[in-house]
Amino acid sequence: MDFSILKMIWEGLLLGAGVTVAVTLFSLIIAWTLGFCLALVRHFSGIIILNFVIDAIVEYFRNIPALTHLFIIYFGLGAVGIRLDSIPAAILGLGIIGAAITSEIFRSSFQSINKGQNEAALAVGFTPLQTIRFILTPQAMRIALPSLGNYALQLMKDTSIVSAIAAPEIMFYARSMVTSSFQTTLIYSSAALLYLLLSLPLAKGVHLLEVRYGRKS
Amino acid sequence: MSDFFLVFSEYGAQWGPRLAQAALITALLSFLGFLVAIILGLLLALMQFSSVAALRKTAQAHVIFFRGVPLLAVLFLIYFGLPGIGIVMSAFQAALVGLGLSFAAQMAEVFRSGLMAIPKGQWEAASAVGMTPLQSFRLIILPQVIRVIRAPIIVTFVSLLKDSSLASLITVNELVLTGRAMATEYFLPLHIYIAVGAFYFIIAFPLSLLAKKMGRRSPVRT
Repeated sequence: MDFSILKMIWEGLLLGAGVTVAVTLFSLIIAWTLGFCLALVRHFSGIIILNFVIDAIVEYFRNIPALTHLFIIYFGLGAVGIRLDSIPAAILGLGIIGAAITSEIFRSSFQSINKGQNEAALAVGFTPLQTIRFILTPQAMRIALPSLGNYALQLMKDTSIVSAIAAPEIMFYARSMVTSSFQTTLIYSSAALLYLLLSLPLAKGVHLLEVRYGRKS
Repeated sequence: MSDFFLVFSEYGAQWGPRLAQAALITALLSFLGFLVAIILGLLLALMQFSSVAALRKTAQAHVIFFRGVPLLAVLFLIYFGLPGIGIVMSAFQAALVGLGLSFAAQMAEVFRSGLMAIPKGQWEAASAVGMTPLQSFRLIILPQVIRVIRAPIIVTFVSLLKDSSLASLITVNELVLTGRAMATEYFLPLHIYIAVGAFYFIIAFPLSLLAKKMGRRSPVRT
């Protein structure tokens, strides 16, 4: 085996790994914050029209493939004058899709908190906002953590598809190296191995969260 | 804004049949892929309960590998990588194998959690009233397992359906790839990709609703 080829492949893939991690982190931030806000409004607002709009948005993003969303954002919006570079488009797309998914996680966490918590907080004189802030949210977070961790793992893997809109992450480098070196088998198995190396620690962390906060899924 | 929607009524008659045909390929790929995933997943779940260590380890390794590696990397490895060691498949076959192997790992977890959700006492009670193990499984355990896993099964199918879109990147002519070809042809990418999305939505949304209705009592899965 020629090690200089292997070295070249891994150097290329590691360049992409930086972008993979960055895209994962930034879209994760969008997904978690936006998802939490959506869940808050959906669970507490009580405004029927607002609830319907949020449900519609969530179902729209959950029932259409991420690849299609990315093409709509990158190629579709680009054609009508809203141009985004591939990396911002990837972060925005994955972030919004993720918000739809995490909002469901947060919502079911809020739903699973005992109603008595709410009543007790109000009874000792908390305002509704204080109740949400100090009593309900901390509990909901604990319940949501394992699922949020699982979602982070899922998202890290999903970043592989942003290579389709030319964001230079692992799969993108793998594909371009294949064109120049023809080491197909070696390159794609190295890419798979690299993803495994990235996801194993993450999976381990998720497992610890599951053990710590119960409710294995 | 009304101009925007006019495009759909203008081209609908041309786009509709082509996308519908592509949707059939998407549906076929998803259905066959899911069949592979169910059979292999059941096998993997049973292997994890086996008393033979080698079987258990193999099943666990499968689940760990396919939970950790993105489907796209799996598809590229199968379609572009395997010919290097002499295994050549058509794009559709490669997509089928990739989806099947990858989602088998998820299905194995679904089956495993379903089997573990049934308390041991159920087995003991069934044998106490004189049922054979096979009878207990068929009449007592299986109906309960099905109640637990039917919602996650549908959820898994929906995500397989969505992930079948990745087959477009290894040249399977399904919805997304057909959409890409049409986008270059008509130069209306926004409209065409929205139409593509609509086809997925039409299939996926009713299933998601059904899963939600079924899963209302059991804990929410992601």
